[in-house]
Amino acid sequence: MTFRVSGRAFELDRQSVEHSVGTVLPAPISEHYVVVSGRRFPPKQVLSCATGLDRADFTTHQARRILQRLGFVAARVSETPAPELGREGEGPHDGRQAAALDPYGGKWVALGAPEEVLVAAETPQEVLAWLERHDRRATCGMFRVPETAAEAAGLAPL
Amino acid sequence: MRFDFLELPGGASALTRPVVPVQIEDLDAAPQLCLVDTGSTANRFGSWLAEAVGIDLTGAPEERIAVGGLPTTARHGRAALTVAGVRYDAPVSFCDPWPFAFNLLGQEGFLRFFRVTICAADFWLEVEPERAG
Repeated sequence: MTFRVSGRAFELDRQSVEHSVGTVLPAPISEHYVVVSGRRFPPKQVLSCATGLDRADFTTHQARRILQRLGFVAARVSETPAPELGREGEGPHDGRQAAALDPYGGKWVALGAPEEVLVAAETPQEVLAWLERHDRRATCGMFRVPETAAEAAGLAPL
Repeated sequence: MRFDFLELPGGASALTRPVVPVQIEDLDAAPQLCLVDTGSTANRFGSWLAEAVGIDLTGAPEERIAVGGLPTTARHGRAALTVAGVRYDAPVSFCDPWPFAFNLLGQEGFLRFFRVTICAADFWLEVEPERAG
């Protein structure tokens, strides 16, 4: 599909957008986000990656509208219902922390709160760079989420 | 200071591990979650951390050891660690490779300096310095 952004025409499709953020770490989300390849990004970050434009060249609403037309789910943080992922009585957070970490097996993560993953990446260096770049702190620590139940239980990889 | 166990996804139910956030040198933006390991004689950290905080291990004594059945090269150095608000100078073995999820806090670089109470029934551990400084 062809879109006009900041006076220029861009040919975009879902695959090219997904590819453009394939190795990019999501920036912090303040209000709006879009889901690309299972990850939440600020809409302006995605459109900037896909077009090469500066984020100041368009608005969040423009970015949202374009990405929605390409079939990406867009939402507001405040619209997100509280997840009911906890498993009663299975830890200090009733399983909610385990549920929050579940998608990140094998990844390095920084926790802003017990159930808040600020960033997840393949390497610890990427996590440190992200924290530095966005002036954030992993208040609840940084570590690599075990990839398997055996590893989580403390067993060494074979 | 009391810390909750960390919940980890582990299939049908969450697994919980006794971990403590440890600031390495001045890396205050990213305290590392370290597993309290009473069976370890020393602190064992991934060697990437030494590089990340600028600890030069050139010429440091090294040895081949096995951790959890896995062979690795440990280079012995020292690092300023901050645990439970206490900063102290500790011996650390920086290991490569280090494929484990956590760094390990062991006897010489941690348990000698802190009194640790573990309550696995209620998923917490308490860490108090043995002596100031």
